[in-house]
Amino acid sequence: MSGAAAPAQQMTGSNRYMLLILLVPGLLALMTTFLLPMVWLARASFSTSSMSAFGGGVTLEHYHAALTDPFYWKVAMNTLSLGVTVSFFAVILSYPIALFLTRSTSRWRGVLTALAVAPLLTSAVVRTYGWMVILGDRGVINSTLQSLSLTTDPVRLSNNTFGATVALVEILMPYAILAMLAGFGRLNPQLEEAASMLGASKLRVFWRIILPLSLPGILTGALLVFVLAISAFVTPRLMGGGRVFVLGTEVFQEATVTLNWPLAAALSVVLLALFSSVIVIYQRALRRLEA
Amino acid sequence: MSEHHVVVENLVKTYPGAATPSVDHVSFALPKGEMLALLGPSGCGKTTILRMIAGLIEPTSGAIQLNGREISQTPVHKRNMGMVFQAYALFPHMTVAGNVAFGLEMRGVPNSERGPKVQRALDMVKLGHLGDRRVTQLSGGQQQRCAIARSLVIEPELLLLDEPLSNLDAKLRDEMRDEIREIQSRTGVTAIFVTHDQDEALSMADRLAVMSAGRIEQIGTPREIFDAPANEFVAGFIGAGNFLSGRVTAPGQAEIEGLGPLRFAAPASVGSRVQLMVRPHRFKLAAPGPNAFTGQVESLVYRGQILTLAITVGGRRLTADLHTHAGTLPAKGDTVTLAVAPGDVTFLSEAAA
Ligand SMILES: Nc1ncnc2c1ncn2[C@@H]1O[C@H](COP(=O)(O)OP(=O)(O)OP(=O)(O)O)[C@@H](O)[C@H]1O
Ligand SMILES: [Mg+2]
Repeated sequence: MSGAAAPAQQMTGSNRYMLLILLVPGLLALMTTFLLPMVWLARASFSTSSMSAFGGGVTLEHYHAALTDPFYWKVAMNTLSLGVTVSFFAVILSYPIALFLTRSTSRWRGVLTALAVAPLLTSAVVRTYGWMVILGDRGVINSTLQSLSLTTDPVRLSNNTFGATVALVEILMPYAILAMLAGFGRLNPQLEEAASMLGASKLRVFWRIILPLSLPGILTGALLVFVLAISAFVTPRLMGGGRVFVLGTEVFQEATVTLNWPLAAALSVVLLALFSSVIVIYQRALRRLEA
Repeated sequence: MSEHHVVVENLVKTYPGAATPSVDHVSFALPKGEMLALLGPSGCGKTTILRMIAGLIEPTSGAIQLNGREISQTPVHKRNMGMVFQAYALFPHMTVAGNVAFGLEMRGVPNSERGPKVQRALDMVKLGHLGDRRVTQLSGGQQQRCAIARSLVIEPELLLLDEPLSNLDAKLRDEMRDEIREIQSRTGVTAIFVTHDQDEALSMADRLAVMSAGRIEQIGTPREIFDAPANEFVAGFIGAGNFLSGRVTAPGQAEIEGLGPLRFAAPASVGSRVQLMVRPHRFKLAAPGPNAFTGQVESLVYRGQILTLAITVGGRRLTADLHTHAGTLPAKGDTVTLAVAPGDVTFLSEAAA
């Protein structure tokens, strides 16, 4: 804290004034698009009136409902397990790609990097539909299996957690790759050379040098995917076919179908709390790693 | 086959896509315990040679032998060589002691023996008290020392150093120069180091190889290289020199264009053209006479013990380094005479006229 304050104290008065002016547009934008909705959300979660956030009295009943109903606990557990599974597989699959892109000296490296993150150019909705075409009961895989007479009934690949997981992993991989590329700054081919000169085989160079040095990138990628996965709504909804219950889909359900806005708000606040605690714990761990 | 510890034979490296080889038929042999400096201008292939010996890149052709055994096919991690990289390449996620212990760990040295060995290596480079530090918290010189300890603790067959001092400031560089030399002679490890600093090469190496464009121009002791350079490139790269070319008019005497006769102590046939050189410190102030050139002092640089002056004679410049204790010193514009003994004239080459 004191370290951050020191340079500010050295600033002259007019400098500080300038800084304030420069910050105003950003702060205003944040206020209106982030802070105000948050306040509104928090207030709505305590509201007794089901449709207006600031009308009605204050009650804890929605939190009571959200936190005591075993259904919501199950939903929370579903969400967490989906988040963990998706980040696990997205990281496992993205790591070799990111590692290859970082270490490659080919002149195609730039093109390959662009290709790896190109899926971000299409919306998650479009890509989810793509997965429905592949994994659906009459989708590519099932019709192939059936035309080869390997199965008679379609294999359940979508409208369940499996389908949602597969689609989310693929949709979120580019984020993981980008986060890893940004977090691999400490990788350095010369360190690998130094290790092998000291007698480390390729495998040991990987375990003792490459993996520890790329760990911050891996953890950042995992965190990003986790946060995006537990807040995802479109993909679990479409790929889950209404059978996958996660916090994102439930908030949507309460807000637009049941029209219970306070409960939706309370669920959102719970989701937010979940996010923030994960991020805080994570950043602690990351900082310790990089120290 | 020989008592040479390291033998490099006809080593060639042509990088993919390159028109000319970066290392071109390089050969040398090193007895055990010797320190060889590879010296040459930037891009002449010094690092490439070192990396081929280390096994980090594959030679296009040629042989590398260690203890009489061909090692071209031995993978890097089995060559048992120590390397000190220019940027040190210390592992940032390990402590100082962790870095030094790494090589021992890879060799399966049991934990109980590792500790004392690491401590001894750190003590040797005066880092004994900093073992628990993170390497990112070390100064440049300390990182350098840590890298040396890390490469020596594994008791390597050969120590390779790639411009180990180039990242240090001038004062620290002098200190580390002595220190590396001291450690090397104490441990008796055979070493090859790369540099493009002639002072470093002259003061640290038992022998030096002067390179240019992928080839070794001359290999010899510092003294041989300095006093008897094989050609103009070596003479010009190591130390300053006044290059004089002329025609041999009588045995041991040449007529230098614009200067007149100069006697030298080397056999050269009468009528041929010779390339001669006089090192600036070989000139002395003298009275006009044979082997002396008189001219006006054009510039003076006082360097404490040495006074470097340039005179113009017959339209050309001659530079001389004079000891400042030699009586009254000339001033700018003075007319002085510089003389050189025939034995102090370096003979470089001879060509038929
Ligand atoms: N990986 C590579 N691919 C292609 N050419 C290379 C490569 N590495 C080096 N070269 C070329 O080989 C030549 C020798 O390079 P090297 O690094 O051995 O020079 P050096 O003597 O160590 O120079 P410096 O003193 O600048 O370090 C240079 O012309 C360089 O451009
Ligand atoms: Mg080099």
